[in-house]
Amino acid sequence: MIDDGIIAAIASGYVESAIGIIRVSGKNSIELLKKIFYPKKNTFEPYKIYHGFLKDSNQKIVDEVLVSVFKSPHSYTGEDSFEINCHGGLLIMQNVLDLVLKNGARLALPGEFTKRAFLNDKIDLLQANAIVNLIKAKTQKALDIAFGQLLKKNTTIIEELREKIIFLMAENEVLIDHPDEDLSDVDLNKRLLILNEITKLIQKLLKFSEKGKYFFEGVNVAIIGKPNVGKSSLLNELTGHNRAIVTDIPGTTTDIVSETLNLNGIPIKILDTAGIRKHSNKIEYLGIKKSHEAIDEADIIIAVFDSSRILDKNDEDILNIIKNKKNVLIVLNKSDLKRKLLLPLNIDPIEISCTKKTGINTLKSRLYNMLIEDYNESEVVSLNTSQIIALKSALKHAKKIKKAYIDSLDPALISIDLQQLADYIEQIIGKIENEDILDNVFKNFCVGK
Amino acid sequence: MYIYPKKYDCIVIGGGHAGCEAALICARLKLNTLLITISVDTIGAMSCNPAIGGLAKGHLVKEVDIFGGEMARNIDETGLQFKILNKSKGPAVWSSRAQADMPAYRLRMKHTLEHQDYLDVKQANVEEIVIEDGKIKGVITHIGNEFLCDALIIATGTFLKGKIFIGLNEFHAGRAWEPPADKLSESLAKAGLVIGRLKTGTTPRLDGRTIDFDALEPQMGDDEPIPFSFKTKNFNPPNYPCYLTYTNTKTHEVIRENLDKSPLYSGMIHGIGTRYCPSIEDKVVKFPDRERHQIFLEPQDANSNEIYADGLNTSLDYEVQVKYLRTIKGLEKVEIIRPGYAIEYDFVNPIQLKHTLETKKIRGLFLAGQINGTSGYEEAAAQGMVAGINAAMYLLEKPPFILARDEAYTGVMIDDLVTKGVKEPYRIFTSRAEYRLLLREDNTHLRLAEKSYEYGLIDKVHYEEIQEHIKKVNEAINILKTTYAMPSIDFNKRLESINTKPIKTKVSLSKILARPEINYSLLQTIVPDLPLLNKIQMQQTEIEIKYEGYINLQKQQIEKFKKLESIVIPEDFDYDKVAGLSAEIRTRLKEIMPKTLGQAMRIPGMTPVAIQIISIFIHKKHVQSKPA
Repeated sequence: MIDDGIIAAIASGYVESAIGIIRVSGKNSIELLKKIFYPKKNTFEPYKIYHGFLKDSNQKIVDEVLVSVFKSPHSYTGEDSFEINCHGGLLIMQNVLDLVLKNGARLALPGEFTKRAFLNDKIDLLQANAIVNLIKAKTQKALDIAFGQLLKKNTTIIEELREKIIFLMAENEVLIDHPDEDLSDVDLNKRLLILNEITKLIQKLLKFSEKGKYFFEGVNVAIIGKPNVGKSSLLNELTGHNRAIVTDIPGTTTDIVSETLNLNGIPIKILDTAGIRKHSNKIEYLGIKKSHEAIDEADIIIAVFDSSRILDKNDEDILNIIKNKKNVLIVLNKSDLKRKLLLPLNIDPIEISCTKKTGINTLKSRLYNMLIEDYNESEVVSLNTSQIIALKSALKHAKKIKKAYIDSLDPALISIDLQQLADYIEQIIGKIENEDILDNVFKNFCVGK
Repeated sequence: MYIYPKKYDCIVIGGGHAGCEAALICARLKLNTLLITISVDTIGAMSCNPAIGGLAKGHLVKEVDIFGGEMARNIDETGLQFKILNKSKGPAVWSSRAQADMPAYRLRMKHTLEHQDYLDVKQANVEEIVIEDGKIKGVITHIGNEFLCDALIIATGTFLKGKIFIGLNEFHAGRAWEPPADKLSESLAKAGLVIGRLKTGTTPRLDGRTIDFDALEPQMGDDEPIPFSFKTKNFNPPNYPCYLTYTNTKTHEVIRENLDKSPLYSGMIHGIGTRYCPSIEDKVVKFPDRERHQIFLEPQDANSNEIYADGLNTSLDYEVQVKYLRTIKGLEKVEIIRPGYAIEYDFVNPIQLKHTLETKKIRGLFLAGQINGTSGYEEAAAQGMVAGINAAMYLLEKPPFILARDEAYTGVMIDDLVTKGVKEPYRIFTSRAEYRLLLREDNTHLRLAEKSYEYGLIDKVHYEEIQEHIKKVNEAINILKTTYAMPSIDFNKRLESINTKPIKTKVSLSKILARPEINYSLLQTIVPDLPLLNKIQMQQTEIEIKYEGYINLQKQQIEKFKKLESIVIPEDFDYDKVAGLSAEIRTRLKEIMPKTLGQAMRIPGMTPVAIQIISIFIHKKHVQSKPA
């Protein structure tokens, strides 16, 4: 077997649905399962479904799931394998997949499960043709999804990135292979400059993919504030639903209520949190704890204050929470009542009234503007997990190269580092062949005799 | 027709760098060998620059040396100046180069051939190859003599339909004014080989008496020269200077004004030239902002005044050559002895060859050197060596001799040639080798001795000498890694005495040697009981320890590479039965018939999907053939 190892993929497809299925296959895959899955009992019989929790290495629960286990050779691939049925949110599926990948699996290539099934005689030879077509189709689709947006709208970034990496590789090769030449135009500053540009391009791609995430996966917005400032009312106003319980008894919302809103095409998940205050009962305490978690995970925070009352200790706590955060919108509710609240001067609040339904549109447009700040359509890319990991590794590696340049490390070693950088992002910029480097050498450097 | 009564095991056509190595190796393996050349006076001739070695080329010379070839010994005996290039960089990319005494080199090579047992040398122009039942049978010369053989190695360099250009003048010639081999090329085409056309060029040779050397910067060789051959002992070569000068804006002006008199720019030359050896006119056109280009004036011969102007390869008109040369500092009054010229010649695209350099079409027919679209003496010699060994293995019915990409630069080059083919003259570079850190010049004979011995290409004495060397280095490395220094006051004082930081905890000696400021002999001054090593052994020990991280990384990459190389594509693999391959890829695959999945991956234009598909079919075949 050439493609050994445990492979994993989201089998249900990368779309929001009720249930997500993560398929994992390979020798020792059951051992992997035992590391992450916590059912009532830890012995697995094939063809049974187990209920339990997936936990990460910090014992934090990732999801509550159902797992079916298949033993070789009686599985789809013919190998030991298992399938996780998790909740079908994109984020959850991604987290579950990441957990599996972190524990020793690798992302399956397109059609690889079927390929293994074929190689293990699980599928008839007559089906070979169909499988080949399937692999081709799947690869094409994967490419379309991964590169579709990149190639259509961001060719310049990708090309620039590729060109600059090839240039550095070529320049390094010139130093090695043409020591007799007059190379006055090769200098440290120029290299550091280009390396810096490479870093910036990678960061740009990552940033664009963050934005892409908004469009494909949605944004989490958390509404926070002390009890009874009207968070649930705001949620209802924003979404136009009437789901959160609205009473004037402080602390009514003890669990997190979430609603989705389509804001000019951006899917937004709004989380209404329990009011944050001191001196509360145990149930409320749990709610508050969850609120803090929601704040950490939110892309944008809406902090609500009651403009009809003076600033108290609980409000100050809220101000402290958001103090160093940039992704915050501050809302003064109950603007229909007489204003008593005084906020620090540097805050630019949005005044609304949930009862009179005023200011809601202003809030929506401020929220939208914040999301699409310096956004233009060509700056949205969709990268998959492995591409993002690759870009991040490349960034880290660029730092190593910078140090190597500054320390004037042997070019023969630098070439290995540059190759590594290219390898990391090969799936985004395309494979760099020796010919590409030589082309660049003879295009940009006057060498050879 | 006269059929020569002595039947040869192997015939080699051509007495250049490929032909000489091929013939010598066959004869040294005790096969009856005949070398046929158009002129025995030009055996071992250097048609272009008077130097052997250089970046990556030095590696090839040393590889030829360990596998029983002659090039390294020949230059060690006849060199005028020896130098290690890249000395300011790390040892992984150090490369040997020597200036050669061209006639001395040539005569020593001729002398070696003439004194080799099992080898005959004859002057003749081969016009036809004889094939019977898809196997080589012999050759026919221009006067109608037939020589019989079981294996044939063709190493004709630029002689196949050679055509020379100087300005707008053109004439048929194989090298300078020697006759070309026109009919042989047609015979090869008739045998079914696809012939292409390439171009290369050379520089004017100048009269040294008319050069003002005093005005120029001399460039000397190393004070402590290192020989190419591991067999060379008591090395004491001369150290002749080269001289550095530059073109200037005036030179460029003259060239620019006269481009219409260049066969390259007037469209007379159809062959594809190499970017690696651009002509001076190319450099001026492509890099208009450059105010000067370097020229090295190199001696060609200890006994003559002829000087080679390296960096001035040209096919411009004679008049223009005279004019622009005289704009250059030191060359104001220069006289040309021989003008520079461009040469166009036929070649056989090497995708028609196996890794053994045997043609896929005709059993027993091997091609080596410039006929395969390469340039350079060293590239030619390395191919001659591989073709010679494989012709011998073929005749002896032994397994083929193939060097892998992770073993030798020769392996890299041949895999490139047979997998990617040639569009412009191919030159080796260190960047073509994926595992540069391991394939160093200094350890060439250490890496390859085992294989050489296995094929009977080095004798026992030399083999054991090399094994002893390897043992010493390994022992030293082992001691350094397993001996620990304690942070005692005494030891830290000793560290300070060699200007390096004290240690705070127990540390292995290898960690101390790994510090940039430390080398083996320095460490030896404070740890006197380290094993005694010679200079090269010390250097190798240092490399292994200082570069350990990178070396391990390359070793891991090699493991990955080997995995793919180990997946053999059966020779009878039918790409027409593999569904899902594009027509273009299918054609390429059928043309190249890669031996392994790894090689298939290196074919230009190959896609990951195609590789997946092929691997599925290989595995399926494998699975099916297993008993149930």
